[in-house]
Amino acid sequence: MTDAVMGFRQTTFPLKLALIGGIGLLIFVILPFVVGDFQISLMSKLLLFGSLAISLDLVWGFTGILSFAHGVFFTLGGYAMAYYLKLNLSAENNTYGIALPDFMVWNGLETLPWFIAPLQYFPVAIAAMIGVPALFAFIIGSFIFRSKVSGVYITIITLAISSALTTFFVSQQAYTGGTNGITDISSLSFFGTPIPLVGLYFIILAYTVLVLAFSWWLTQSNFGLILRSINENEKRIAFLGYDVARFKIFIWTLSAAMAGIAGGLFVPLNKFISPVYLAVAFGTQVVIWVAIGGRGTLIGPLVAAILLGQVQNAAEKVTQDWQLIVGILLLVVVLFIPSGLMSLLPKQFSLSELSKPSGALRRNSVKNASQ
Amino acid sequence: MLDSALSLPLWQPFLLAQEEAATETFNAVALVNQTLNGIGIIGILLLTALGLAITFGVMRIINLAHGEFIMLGAYVTFLMQDWFGLDLLLTIPFAFLGTAIIGAITELTIIRRLYGRPLETLLATWGLSIVLQGVVKLIFTAQLKYVRAPAYLSGNIMLLTDDAGSPLVAISYYRMFIVLIALALLGLTMYLFYGTPWGRNVRAVTQNREMAKCLGINTQMVDLITFAYGCGLAGVAGSVISALKSVAPPMGQDYLVDAWMVVVTGGVDKLIGVLAGSVLIGEANAIIAYLLNDPVARVLVLAAIIVLIRYRPEGLFTVQKRA
Repeated sequence: MTDAVMGFRQTTFPLKLALIGGIGLLIFVILPFVVGDFQISLMSKLLLFGSLAISLDLVWGFTGILSFAHGVFFTLGGYAMAYYLKLNLSAENNTYGIALPDFMVWNGLETLPWFIAPLQYFPVAIAAMIGVPALFAFIIGSFIFRSKVSGVYITIITLAISSALTTFFVSQQAYTGGTNGITDISSLSFFGTPIPLVGLYFIILAYTVLVLAFSWWLTQSNFGLILRSINENEKRIAFLGYDVARFKIFIWTLSAAMAGIAGGLFVPLNKFISPVYLAVAFGTQVVIWVAIGGRGTLIGPLVAAILLGQVQNAAEKVTQDWQLIVGILLLVVVLFIPSGLMSLLPKQFSLSELSKPSGALRRNSVKNASQ
Repeated sequence: MLDSALSLPLWQPFLLAQEEAATETFNAVALVNQTLNGIGIIGILLLTALGLAITFGVMRIINLAHGEFIMLGAYVTFLMQDWFGLDLLLTIPFAFLGTAIIGAITELTIIRRLYGRPLETLLATWGLSIVLQGVVKLIFTAQLKYVRAPAYLSGNIMLLTDDAGSPLVAISYYRMFIVLIALALLGLTMYLFYGTPWGRNVRAVTQNREMAKCLGINTQMVDLITFAYGCGLAGVAGSVISALKSVAPPMGQDYLVDAWMVVVTGGVDKLIGVLAGSVLIGEANAIIAYLLNDPVARVLVLAAIIVLIRYRPEGLFTVQKRA
């Protein structure tokens, strides 16, 4: 593999990548001006799902930790934002005055619980949106990665976490709104003026680009090299003197924070959040995007999330059995195209090849030709 | 038909009827009732986890489609009742055969290609679970189907009644039936694994595949039959459980996580671990649900399992082996 030795810092500007990336970005910038509100809203949603899939790709594709709990981190961030938007609902829109959200009144709460009250301030909500999933992931990560527990068992633990939290959020009706979750929320506003859908789209687009660029930079760095080495051979990396657990905990926490922000941006768009996104089914959905798109490709999961979402939107008009198609697709990919749909692209268009400075590209092709 | 008092508490293994306990005035009686409830859960857990104890415990296949094999068993029972009006007990062999055949096809087409790649197996079986749900939904529609429990299994065993004759401590016949059939299947499976030449072959293959092959064991055939047997057991579970609640395509999902937790808790080396796992989880749930409430019980039990996996990933009842 040529990309296994890509640890050195890039000195030459990757022109091809910049060109293709620029064109891709341009399409997404123009998009909201040519399509209707429904498509803008759908694309925003899919971009966020794509960011979520990229965050899972960091821990699964690069580090080899398969997690069904990324939906949980996403939803935790979502709830933080949902509390903020619910608590800032203007008095005339709130049935019971501004003091208390409706679902708390229905469930007999008299005052705002102390742990929810601070979320009415925007900075606190933002901090919680990033911090709560990150802290939760950090606690879990510190607990499970410093043990002899191997890959599959970690996956089962993430299943248990997802299942337990779903039960917990459904049962704490007075605090979380139960099965319905938090609905009827205000829209996100910027110094008093509500942000329109297009504005939200651009915020989300910016976030997705940021996630993609940051993840790409991270995985091309020396740190990313260590992550990939952990995936390849954990024992050898440990023998070389690296603290494998610390690397795992770091990327796990970082990825949870990224998922949390995606969840936080999802709420003003979706207008509600509910335990549906905590459940195992949504967690698997994220895994499916990454598996179909291609593990360790970053762009693959994003493309898969967007494409599958668009196809689903089109398919649901004609058939009720969209899930069956996804299942068949997943089976085919796992059995016949184990590195995902991105691997079907010609090699010249792969991310690692494009990101090479043109000099290195020539050197490589000469080497390949001589073999 | 089942009376509502029977079907409600068993609606889902963990969501037990807490109201039942709440109406009791005498605490000891309530506690006994809750313990009996726990036995009911144990039966379901044991039954649903037994097939997984074969496919994961013995063969180490991460089978996320286990719940769908349970669902298939339930549909076989429904079909048999619908077409021939068979008694539920008589449909059990058909459920076993039907799911075992589908399990065998799965092994041949999917699992066989992925031995030694646990994470890929996990993904593929998840894909399979979606496909099976989708196909069943195509054939039978998403509508709920109902299965009749045999009349002689309805009603409750009164262990203790008050002066007016209303039951204080009771357990339904059907729940006892589930426990008994689960135990019988466990006994049969243990006999097959520890008492027959075929079982010896299976154990030889799981311990050292290469060596077993050298000694002339047809390892592919062993894999095929073992996996089919595990799936067949899931089918039996589905058939028995089908009378407790309605039969629908997503029904298997309810049992998947719980079955996994039982197998992981009990340990994968000895089949008896699955019994230990069900007893521990079932009773812990019932008792904590009695002391606090159901959701808290489930969350606490799952948290305890996470801690357990962290410190003993090989399960509670496994003898430490030298590598």
